[in-house]
Amino acid sequence: MQFQTVIVTVILILVVMAALLVIASGVWVAAALLRAIARPRTDPQEDAANQR
Amino acid sequence: MNPVLSATVVFVYLAALVFVALRARVARDFDEFSVARRTLPLALIFGSIAATYVGPAFSIGFVGRGFHSGFLFLFVGSAYAVQNILVGLLVAPRLRELKGCFTLGDAFGQKYGRKAQIIAGLISLGICTGFSAVMIKAGGVVLTDTFGLPTWLSVSLIAVITASYTTFGGLRASVITDAFHFALFAILLPVTLLCAMFFHFKGGPAAFSAEAPVATLNGLRSTPAIEIVGLTVAFLLGETLIPPYANLALASRTSRVSKCGFITAGIFSILWFAVMTATGIMARCIVPSDTPEDHVLLELVRSLMPIGGYSLLLVALISIVLSSLDSLLNAGAVVFTEDIVKPLTALSDRTALLVGRRATIVIATVAAVCVPAVPSIIGGLLICYTVWASAILPAAIIGLWLKNPRPLAGVLSMGVGTLVAIIAIAIVSTPDFETKTRVTIIPALGAALAAYLIGHRFGKIKAGA
Repeated sequence: MQFQTVIVTVILILVVMAALLVIASGVWVAAALLRAIARPRTDPQEDAANQR
Repeated sequence: MNPVLSATVVFVYLAALVFVALRARVARDFDEFSVARRTLPLALIFGSIAATYVGPAFSIGFVGRGFHSGFLFLFVGSAYAVQNILVGLLVAPRLRELKGCFTLGDAFGQKYGRKAQIIAGLISLGICTGFSAVMIKAGGVVLTDTFGLPTWLSVSLIAVITASYTTFGGLRASVITDAFHFALFAILLPVTLLCAMFFHFKGGPAAFSAEAPVATLNGLRSTPAIEIVGLTVAFLLGETLIPPYANLALASRTSRVSKCGFITAGIFSILWFAVMTATGIMARCIVPSDTPEDHVLLELVRSLMPIGGYSLLLVALISIVLSSLDSLLNAGAVVFTEDIVKPLTALSDRTALLVGRRATIVIATVAAVCVPAVPSIIGGLLICYTVWASAILPAAIIGLWLKNPRPLAGVLSMGVGTLVAIIAIAIVSTPDFETKTRVTIIPALGAALAAYLIGHRFGKIKAGA
């Protein structure tokens, strides 16, 4: 019985950690999204034309 | 449910989506439309792969499975993580290193010749349209259940909204909006689990600890071993390198980004399945035991969250559908232009972009029209998995690793794989359809592999190789 309690407690901790890691992934991707939409788009051809 | 509050939440979500899609900007050439100029960074590649595979089946479906079978589906689902990690280690970097590739069909063209490219293109187009029909159906169900809209209107809304930004923005718009959707549901759904676990009077860690072993043993007893094997094979191979993933592998900034994107997405899938199945287990203490599988998540959130929270979850569910659908529409359009039209006729870049845009609209329309033919969300996905895995995978994976693959092997494998998969699906189209479809992938895949070996034994090396 004690062994089962230990296993279930470990699973519980792993599940909570998984939930926190999923939330962290969401925050990481949201940060990348903000960077991507904040950056002005560069066009290699236009840049080359401007430099000429 | 308060309709004004729900409508406000959905309106704010749509306004944010439009803002993000506009910031992604219009694609100006075919290179940008199809592979976003191969400039995508790791976080966006990861977010887009994860947002594409987390569809209704991996969210609503997994919560329902956790409700009935505990952690059984976490173990079955781990095959999916293995698949992503193996693709990251063995296939995606090789695909990215091929020069001038826009699609998986291009890789077939380089390895097996033009005929094989066109056949791969036709199969990919069919699969993208099939998957899109399933996603539109799922989105339609959410809208109809929530707002009481007629089915035709819900289906049309989902198809029109997604097709509009995908048509103009191409892959970049799809990836950027995927990141937006991913951030939404990756934050909202785990919060639901944590709320149930720590802030609900019927929930709590003790209730979870009591229900987890009971549900898992129940799942193990009630699921036949052959079904577990069939499902594991379907998870391992069914979505491997489907066109949206192949396009993301090709659109990565470098082959290292391509490799790491798939590996991190594979690791994420394990975390995601753990959260979804645990949410299902937690729901056993909160929602009635006779709740239908597909309604467990909605019922759980209805019991847990205030009205605003429930509306937010609906937004997350719509996000899940749209993020899968936009990738499929873009991939289908690129496949049509690159693998079917271009090998038959020379296209200027401007014309290719135009063909891609029009193809996006046509695929969305055909998929929406096909929605009534989709048997169920899981059933539709299983049909697509079976056809894709048997038709494309043997030729794609072996071809990327062999130095001189034989064109006959590629063509035979695709032809036999498709044929056997369709026949096997037609044979099992009985009332017990979903259960039987889970095992049809095994004979179809075996036949495709055998056909490849025969073609390799008797075929000639491609001219000029």
